[in-house]
Amino acid sequence: MTELLRIAAPLSLWLASFSAVYGLEGLVCSDAWTGLELDSGAGRAALVAAMVLAVSLQAGLLVALQGQRFGSGVPALRRISLVLGIAALIASVWTLLPVMLMPLCL
Amino acid sequence: MSAIRLHKALGRVWASEPGWRGWLTTVNHTDLGRMFLFVAALYFVIGGILAMLIRAQLASPRSAFMGPEVYAQVFTMHGTIMMFLFAIPLFEGVAVYLLPKLLGSRDLAFPRLTAYGFWCYAFGGAMLIFALLAGIAPDGGWFMYPPLTGPIYAPGINTDFWLIGITFVEISAICAAVEITVTVLRCRAPGMSLDRMPIFGWYALVTAVMILTGFPPLILGSILLELERAFGMPFFQVAEGGDSLLWQHLFWLFGHPEVYIIFLPAAGIVSTVLPVLARTTLLGYGWIVAAAVSLGVLSFGLWVHHMFTTGIPHMGLAFFSAASTLVAVPTAVQIFAWIGTLWKGRPALRLPMLWLLSFFATFVIGGLTGVMVAVVPFDWQVHDTHFIVAHLHYVLVGGFVFPMLAGLYYWLPHLTGRRRFFRIGEIAFWLVAVSFHVTFLAVHWAGLLGQRRRTFTFGPDDAWSLLNLVASIGSFVLAIGFALVILDVLVNALIAARGTRNPWGAGTLEWAMPTPPAAYNFASLPEVADRDPLWADPDLPVRIARGEGYLAGAERGRREILAVDVASGRPVQVVVLPGNTALPIAMSAATGGIFLGLLLKTYWLVPLAALVVAAMAIRWVWCLGTDADAGPQAVGHGLRLPLASDSADPPGWWGSLFLIGTSLTLFGSLLFGYAFLWTVAPNWPPPSYLHSGWASPALAGIGSLLACLGIRLAQRRLRRGRLPLVPLGAVTAGCGALVAAAVTVMAGTSHDAHAYDAVAWVLAGHAILHAGVPGLMSLVVLAAALRARLSAARSGPVHVLRLWTDHAAAVTVIGLVAIWLPGWLT
Repeated sequence: MTELLRIAAPLSLWLASFSAVYGLEGLVCSDAWTGLELDSGAGRAALVAAMVLAVSLQAGLLVALQGQRFGSGVPALRRISLVLGIAALIASVWTLLPVMLMPLCL
Repeated sequence: MSAIRLHKALGRVWASEPGWRGWLTTVNHTDLGRMFLFVAALYFVIGGILAMLIRAQLASPRSAFMGPEVYAQVFTMHGTIMMFLFAIPLFEGVAVYLLPKLLGSRDLAFPRLTAYGFWCYAFGGAMLIFALLAGIAPDGGWFMYPPLTGPIYAPGINTDFWLIGITFVEISAICAAVEITVTVLRCRAPGMSLDRMPIFGWYALVTAVMILTGFPPLILGSILLELERAFGMPFFQVAEGGDSLLWQHLFWLFGHPEVYIIFLPAAGIVSTVLPVLARTTLLGYGWIVAAAVSLGVLSFGLWVHHMFTTGIPHMGLAFFSAASTLVAVPTAVQIFAWIGTLWKGRPALRLPMLWLLSFFATFVIGGLTGVMVAVVPFDWQVHDTHFIVAHLHYVLVGGFVFPMLAGLYYWLPHLTGRRRFFRIGEIAFWLVAVSFHVTFLAVHWAGLLGQRRRTFTFGPDDAWSLLNLVASIGSFVLAIGFALVILDVLVNALIAARGTRNPWGAGTLEWAMPTPPAAYNFASLPEVADRDPLWADPDLPVRIARGEGYLAGAERGRREILAVDVASGRPVQVVVLPGNTALPIAMSAATGGIFLGLLLKTYWLVPLAALVVAAMAIRWVWCLGTDADAGPQAVGHGLRLPLASDSADPPGWWGSLFLIGTSLTLFGSLLFGYAFLWTVAPNWPPPSYLHSGWASPALAGIGSLLACLGIRLAQRRLRRGRLPLVPLGAVTAGCGALVAAAVTVMAGTSHDAHAYDAVAWVLAGHAILHAGVPGLMSLVVLAAALRARLSAARSGPVHVLRLWTDHAAAVTVIGLVAIWLPGWLT
């Protein structure tokens, strides 16, 4: 199971962070956010922080999968998990980039 | 022992019952795979006839062929049948038939579950076909958007047939997915490590996990919509705090992965068949595995691209547009790997290869139009037009039906044991390949000109009159082509000459057996040291037939397979499988009683049928136990292994693990729905939140502690060789307390007052069900302990119970806290 977790972890982490950032965007654009007396600047900052956190976690996981302690001992599975780790890192940057580029709640 | 004697001995143990009774009692994967394939093909024909009716209607402007009501039923049932009754079950059929053979096993991990799933599919599908014939079929489109399908605008029984019938059929998909996952992970040939697994095994594993995580949101959505229709619980009604967009989220959380659930098995067939017909090995095995996993996960992050026109903020649109373009990358990786495989090999232009080439052309076009609709401004233009209809047909027919036909012709000699003689298939191929593009190029075009989908007619002055006529003519030629495929398969299956064992010279294990295959697949189980065992060791089939592998023959007179370590493929257990039984068909009929009771609003039938199902489930698990420790069993080559029933992690433990994963996805979807309504839906907050007081939370806390500590204590006592009667009693009591805490929620809210109250009822109902099941299980385990069917070795049932108990405690406490939290804060 550990081998499968190594393969499943990178993109699962992407899916979790992607969904969380989308959920955060929903919260930032909801009445609840203004009810907390927070403005759109705080919303943007929260989203950018969430993106940075997501990308950092993804990079950390990739480093861990490369290391001896957490990486797979089976060469073929090690390669697959690393390819998926790189793919998930790129996916995180690409899919969360809109938090920096797009208008908030328009 | 000679090969003939082995065959006779194994045949006696593994054969299904003779005559018609055999069809009802078989649990053999070869039989059930064929049954799945046959019924799925039947539904393809029905869905195809409905497609012809649609095209007949749209052939000319102002057609009087069908009225709008009938047209709505026809296009809804066409989509529903093709997606739920044809595509997914066809994958199930292929996997059920092929996987044990590819993986070097004699059967799947849970044969009775396969049979139960098949009968749920057959009965659920029959329900929908009855509705079609009776003129009361669903008519809200295959994605059933409320409020169109809500109680106000669709008061009849039509929508209920969809919600209840499809949920019934989905049981089949969940059963098959659990079956496939555990089989791929645990029931492989000795030595078949994960990196030596046939590529189809990886695709099947990814697809099965996707079914386990993708179907729960739709099951939840169907339950919520049915509760709204039957009991007025306002999940999708804005005035009472609901939101119809919630349905779209839940539906497409399932619906987009569904596209890849359909595509990935077909891609698995491409990756299996293509190298054999190109007479080489698959290029980039590891890259393809990574691409399949990527597609499987990425597809869960795309659901909102079906909702680009619903008024979502631009940033949200950009998230999902970016994710949608990203998914083209792993798809392209596979396409380039397949092209590279063709490049390095010597392709033989046989009939399966023709279908594969047609797949390439069609699927790439469908993929590119997919990238077009991933771009938000373009999607706004073509949303709900025939362009989308054409795109999805390019993807699903090109990406699923064509590879499946390649697979059909590739494995036809295996299914029938005959060599294809009649060449109707080549004519059929050209008819289908050409007419498909004639039809759907015209449909693309009509969509770009603005023709809306799901409209039953158009005027003579509309720009798309001629295009529709062309599409209709093309579609009828397409139908003739598919009819010829069926004719070709029938004549070649029934009257062609006997063929040789491995006509394609393939390297995978399914060709290491005589064809058509015997019920037991392998006379002995092979040791595998290569990804293409028959290429590495051409004498392997002979040695298998001579009984030189593991578990040769059936010396102990029972159905035995090996369970292996997940990663290395090292054999670790002997699994004894159950024999022929009518229990699966009887239990699926009783399950059908639950759904029928809900459909016909005869609610007294529901608990009655549920009791029958529970009684049968107890009988089901009771058969698995033994009265004494069996000790290590000889499996050949000097190896002795414990029985799975003498182990802490029998296949049932693994099955429970994945089923709990499915349950958690459903629970997560429910919490998402709650958060969505709370955040986005108008008319929140509700008039009042539930105030729990201290007694109910205390009851829930004590119940969860009692259940979790009790099961751990039971494990400890069992390890020390003592009967865990008191701890098991504590588990029962703990589950009872959890149920009681959930009941207080129902007592404190009115189910139809506001969406908050309705969600509270569903969370409480969820808690009652999930705490009730391990409560019942603990009584069964207690009975097993009293009958000396538990020991330190035979502790599997207690380990399984621990999974379910922990799960029940977690979801119940989280669910109840989610209901109580707003009341605590206000």
